[in-house]
Amino acid sequence: MSAYFIPIIFISIFCYAKRKKVPTYDTFARGAKKAIPLVVDIFPYVATIMIAVALLRESGATAWLASLCSPIFNLLGIPSQLIELVLLRPFTGSGSYAILNDILLQFGADSYISRCACVILGCSETIFYVTALYTSKTNVKKLLYAIPIALICAVVGSILACLLCKIM
Amino acid sequence: MVVGSICTLVWTSPAGVLSTMLGSAADAFSLALELCAVYAVWLGMLELVDASGLSQKLAKLLHPFIKKIFKIEDPETEKLIALNMSANMLGLGNASTPMGIAAMKRLDDGSGVATHAIIMLIVINSTSIQLLPSTVIGLRAAAGSLSAGDIILPTLLSTICTFALGISLVILFGKLRSKLAKRRAR
Repeated sequence: MSAYFIPIIFISIFCYAKRKKVPTYDTFARGAKKAIPLVVDIFPYVATIMIAVALLRESGATAWLASLCSPIFNLLGIPSQLIELVLLRPFTGSGSYAILNDILLQFGADSYISRCACVILGCSETIFYVTALYTSKTNVKKLLYAIPIALICAVVGSILACLLCKIM
Repeated sequence: MVVGSICTLVWTSPAGVLSTMLGSAADAFSLALELCAVYAVWLGMLELVDASGLSQKLAKLLHPFIKKIFKIEDPETEKLIALNMSANMLGLGNASTPMGIAAMKRLDDGSGVATHAIIMLIVINSTSIQLLPSTVIGLRAAAGSLSAGDIILPTLLSTICTFALGISLVILFGKLRSKLAKRRAR
């Protein structure tokens, strides 16, 4: 059933664009062209995060951190293999894609852990990055309760993600 | 923390430091190539969505809702927020940022303290209601998933829940805040 999801969406977008007399070939190509500069933009950050994570992992720091955090994560129902992802997600978008890819390759794309990781990533945002970006052009210094609320939502989202993956 | 782990590594296996760094940099490069393919497909589709006016339509649909939760009386800002949200929903992250920043500038009252509307905009943008988690699906398909799309439904459900939770918390805290301000004024 869900296998038809994406093709159907693609076909309906194409039909809708055709009906609106949008030149589909040129427009699609124009969009696809943006992929290269985007990847060039994010590559340095992906590389930096991946190198840092590899060093942390190799030295045993993440294992130590995971064992430290695992009681909390167990309580919340989040598998301890996802600790890196959950902790890094609010800070870096491209870095968390790197970690997701690692999880996908390590546990297999259709495993429970991987599905949880996908849902967690899909329903969350890089809170600190977004906030810094959006307030950078304003005089706002005191954000009051904005960040705590965003973080609470992220934690609840992660718990929900693991719960929903179990039953769906 | 990273420096600390380099130090431990030097102590445990000095030969491993450079090879670990180079190995992960190579991994990063292959991931970037994969991402490039994923982006080419999705950005192409999104360009079609944008060009056919679907995002404008979604923005129009969102308008009354935005008026209600932001409590602002400025049609231009409302429009910017509507466009920002609709671009976010469709996964046009790059397109949503300039509009979000422009809306922020208009909401800024110069006092240095975030207003209700500013906090609302930050929380909405950081709970990210996304109808289609395109990059995640793409990476999953590239990793050999048999049904990469089966995360769409759980993602949608949890994103809607966190979105609703975020908005209600902002409204709740906003009410508490104005109550406190009144008490102080008295």
